[in-house]
Amino acid sequence: MSLPTLPSGWASANSEGFVAHSAFTSPVKRQIEPVGPGFLAHARRTLRGRTWSEDEK
Amino acid sequence: MSTVIGIAFGNTNSSIAYEKDGKVEVIANPDGDRFIPSTVSYVGSDEYSGLEAKAQLIRNAANTVTNFRDYLGKPFSNIDASAAKASSKPTDGGSAVAYKLERGNGEEAVSVDEIAVRHLTKLQEAAKDYIGKPIDGIVIAVPTDFDEATTKAVVKACEGAKMPVLQVISEPAAALLASDAGNAEISSGDRVSLVLDLGGIRSDAAVIATRGGVYTTLATHHAFGLGGNKLDDALVNYFAKEFEKKHKLNPLEDKRGVAKLVHESEAVKKTLSNTSSATFAIESLAGGIDYHGTVNRLRFELVAKAIFAEFNTFALEAVKKAGLDPLDVDEVLLVGGTANIPKIAKLLSSSFENATVVAPAVESKAVEPAELVARGAAIQAALVADFDESEIADSTQAVVTVAPHTTAPIGVKLADGSLKVIIPQDTPLPVKKSVVLPAKGSFFAQIYEGKHSIDEKEVTPTNDDDDSDFDDEPYTERTKKVEGTHLLGELGLDGITGDKVEVIVNITRELKLEISAREIGGAGVVRGVAGTAKLE
Ligand SMILES: Nc1ncnc2c1ncn2[C@@H]1O[C@H](COP(=O)(O)OP(=O)(O)OP(=O)(O)O)[C@@H](O)[C@H]1O
Ligand SMILES: [Mg+2]
Repeated sequence: MSLPTLPSGWASANSEGFVAHSAFTSPVKRQIEPVGPGFLAHARRTLRGRTWSEDEK
Repeated sequence: MSTVIGIAFGNTNSSIAYEKDGKVEVIANPDGDRFIPSTVSYVGSDEYSGLEAKAQLIRNAANTVTNFRDYLGKPFSNIDASAAKASSKPTDGGSAVAYKLERGNGEEAVSVDEIAVRHLTKLQEAAKDYIGKPIDGIVIAVPTDFDEATTKAVVKACEGAKMPVLQVISEPAAALLASDAGNAEISSGDRVSLVLDLGGIRSDAAVIATRGGVYTTLATHHAFGLGGNKLDDALVNYFAKEFEKKHKLNPLEDKRGVAKLVHESEAVKKTLSNTSSATFAIESLAGGIDYHGTVNRLRFELVAKAIFAEFNTFALEAVKKAGLDPLDVDEVLLVGGTANIPKIAKLLSSSFENATVVAPAVESKAVEPAELVARGAAIQAALVADFDESEIADSTQAVVTVAPHTTAPIGVKLADGSLKVIIPQDTPLPVKKSVVLPAKGSFFAQIYEGKHSIDEKEVTPTNDDDDSDFDDEPYTERTKKVEGTHLLGELGLDGITGDKVEVIVNITRELKLEISAREIGGAGVVRGVAGTAKLE
């Protein structure tokens, strides 16, 4: 289990070392279960970033 | 610190759990029961509860109320009255289901809400006695098919029983939380669990994805009438036939005979979960004749064969509803009293080849399945004990509990062409995850979205060892695989000095996919934004 090596010519053609291709498939909204320590951590993160989620509405 | 507990309130049994110093225990009531029958019975003006009330089913069925939880918050026209076939009949009480009971003042109509309050009050008193302090709050678990009206009726009944409800959670989530807290060694981390709750009069399933400790329910499934009572009935019919063969008398013709057989069959069934044979003894079953003998597990498995198959089919249907294959299930968590039966766990082990089946019969470290829901509720109660009401309300509002989830796995292509998944399907966003992989001299990290599929291969066994009981039937071998199908972005770097690279995938709140790769032990790093997804 390892990463492949660079194909020849790739590095000189892409000096940034990065190429964007496309966005991932649209995510779907789902309900998460409001239980457990993992959820509480998620709730704290979300509520802290709340100004952003309020902008979204 | 306030005194909080977790409550499981089933149609058949209820349990109370309490977390103290990080340890959860299921509390016994004053009779010594941890699985307290959800039953209330009246003999004249005396009220009986729990096991004592259940014992009244033989002599005093008309004044004994069982299996009433699912009637809360529903009009009479919406209930399945057959759930109470062996006890007081539910009737139309106008705004709610009611029972006609004799409580020392002639027959009166008693609402199901009042019965629930009476039952829950006993739980409250048992908890208060045990802990030595009044109960400040509870977390209670309800099935996933409960709607607002039914949930509200449960909450109101708890409040009537002097147990303020801090939070209502779902039964399967509670069970999974309890199992995770008790058994990190059995299964942990990201996975797909099938939570199968097999009770007395119903079976419930939930397919739950765990990602970074967050649970997302992907599908739920319910079977009403499928549960331990059906197994009891199968034994009842078996015993009745055997008795009739011998004595030419049908014990099912007499109501009391039926009740006695039901009682003994349940005891036999439970014994057979632990031992390979059980004795039974019924005094004066019919015509004044006593009935006793032994029955072994194999006989029970034969008698209940079709019902066991139903449980297995039910489990497979739940997974199908989630759009998954049985091979996608990593864990089957068995919950509820009926989950103690070894045959059920064994059937599921062969239906879910990739899964760890968590049940006492196949995993000695499994928590008693009938305790899981109460334990999970107690764990959650301890977590929110010191929150004030508005904090709990804030945390459970939609901006927190509704999150976009990925619909396909995202990973990096390895040298052999396979895809190493970094962010699995059904992961709530935002998320950031990485993998560390070997690389030499340079690396090329192609980030793909992928697709799961099942490979089917016909296998014809060959008899190399001249085995005498060799089975040469060809069979289909099914294996799960994942392939990169959709290139999202590429990262590459020449002239690296270390031998390992960390590939990082970050999806932001704005659904921007940021990918990067950095050489471990060196300075080389490359990064970029592959794209921004739109919410469906
Ligand atoms: N050790 C055991 N082996 C087999 N069956 C058992 C065992 N213990 C309990 N049961 C059965 O489990 C059933 C009760 O399950 P549970 O306590 O989970 O009920 P519940 O949650 O109240 O269910 P429901 O709401 O479906 O009635 C009963 O049929 C009981 O006979
Ligand atoms: Mg239950």
